[in-house]
Amino acid sequence: MTGTLFIGLYPFQWIALLSALMTLLLLADALAGHYRSGFAFRVQYTPFISGGLLIIAAVAAAVAPNVTWLNKTLRGAGWLAVASGLIGFGFHHYYGIAKKPGGYKWLLHYLMYGAPQLAPLALAIVGALALLAAQGLAGGARVGGLSIRAALLALVSGALAGAILQATILHYRGAFNNPAMYALLTAPLLAVVASAWMVVAPNSLMLFVLTILLWLTFLIGFVGLGMHLRGYERQMGGLYVLPFNLLEGPPACAPALFAGFSAVGLIAVRLL
Amino acid sequence: MKRPTERGGTVKSLRQAMSLIKMGAPMHPIFVHFTIALTSASLAFDALGFFFDKQSLTAAGGWALVGAAVMTLATLSTGLTSATRALVEEGEARSFLRAHMALGLIFYGLLVAIVFWRISLWQSGQSVSWVYLAALAVVALVMTVQGYLGGELVYRYGVEVEQAYRELPDHDAESPTPQLVSSKSVSTSARAKKQGEAA
Repeated sequence: MTGTLFIGLYPFQWIALLSALMTLLLLADALAGHYRSGFAFRVQYTPFISGGLLIIAAVAAAVAPNVTWLNKTLRGAGWLAVASGLIGFGFHHYYGIAKKPGGYKWLLHYLMYGAPQLAPLALAIVGALALLAAQGLAGGARVGGLSIRAALLALVSGALAGAILQATILHYRGAFNNPAMYALLTAPLLAVVASAWMVVAPNSLMLFVLTILLWLTFLIGFVGLGMHLRGYERQMGGLYVLPFNLLEGPPACAPALFAGFSAVGLIAVRLL
Repeated sequence: MKRPTERGGTVKSLRQAMSLIKMGAPMHPIFVHFTIALTSASLAFDALGFFFDKQSLTAAGGWALVGAAVMTLATLSTGLTSATRALVEEGEARSFLRAHMALGLIFYGLLVAIVFWRISLWQSGQSVSWVYLAALAVVALVMTVQGYLGGELVYRYGVEVEQAYRELPDHDAESPTPQLVSSKSVSTSARAKKQGEAA
């Protein structure tokens, strides 16, 4: 395995664990969203099957990185998550916009109040992350013509860009009622640019800037978690009526993805 | 309320004692002290280790910080449990509760970040620096504000305080059986007794 050991684990073991943790958080939000819509379609159970397999496979591969069949299982689970994420994106688009009354004429309305369009792609992204982790655990150094470090940074850049876009739409729906809701347009947005820059033209100055931006994005993830929790408390009854407000309030775990993807970026820049 | 022990009677057997265990006390106030003590101890040990160049103190600071990060998970989860039990009406107290909840997770993010920083310093064989100590002091400051907000919630607004306690058994054998009373009714009855004596 490549990279520097950190607390007894190699970088790709950390990445496998992070992909498991982020999948768990994604599934928590997906459960709230799909439960809110009453699991109207059986296909709404799909992310829990593919995501559940990904969590088990990623943890197992991180614990036993030298076992070949576990690595292959992680690759399989990763591809399954990528496929279900892409299919989910299609379903969210069709049932969330195209099939709704008014369809594309009411695009902004459905982007805000329909099924979150980019949420299923987050599952595809963690699936891709698991694939990179499997490649790294097997000792692979290159993916699709890129070094594995550059591939990770490209993935982090894309993931953060998607998360920012989805969150901006939902914060717009919330009328940016708190100045902290603009936080995702600061360091995370710059981290997207800096990560992409490091893929195209890596240099030491940009590496330093990216490290700072990723740390700030990591902290903004926790700020988001705290503020979303505050968001539940602002609603009638607050956490005392948690199940109801959990369904109606902001997505509980979504901000943690900013922390998770920035942690992946930090592993790429510091340990690889 | 039928058991003699709950009416102020004497506990005579282990069984009676066991039956009194309810684990109804809020756990959050217990765990917050670990977070506060371990984070403060880490700052103190690190500062002393830095100024007096004592490696043993610096090591103690590092382990205390790791302990704080672990224990704060319990603090956060019990805090959430407490929040789900707190039926607080809209107003000042709920504003404090909101700020306390938001700041709790922000503090934990800072704590996790500084733990990773500390571990990377340890792995590269470096000692703590001025910058690290300043950052840890900022984390401790955020924790202080967080603790203050929590203290206000309990001591000013009485969140998760039952505001009722059992009276001590009276010396007079003829006195009625002690009952659970609120602090308000205690002060009222004491005032009535004083007025009676004065008359």
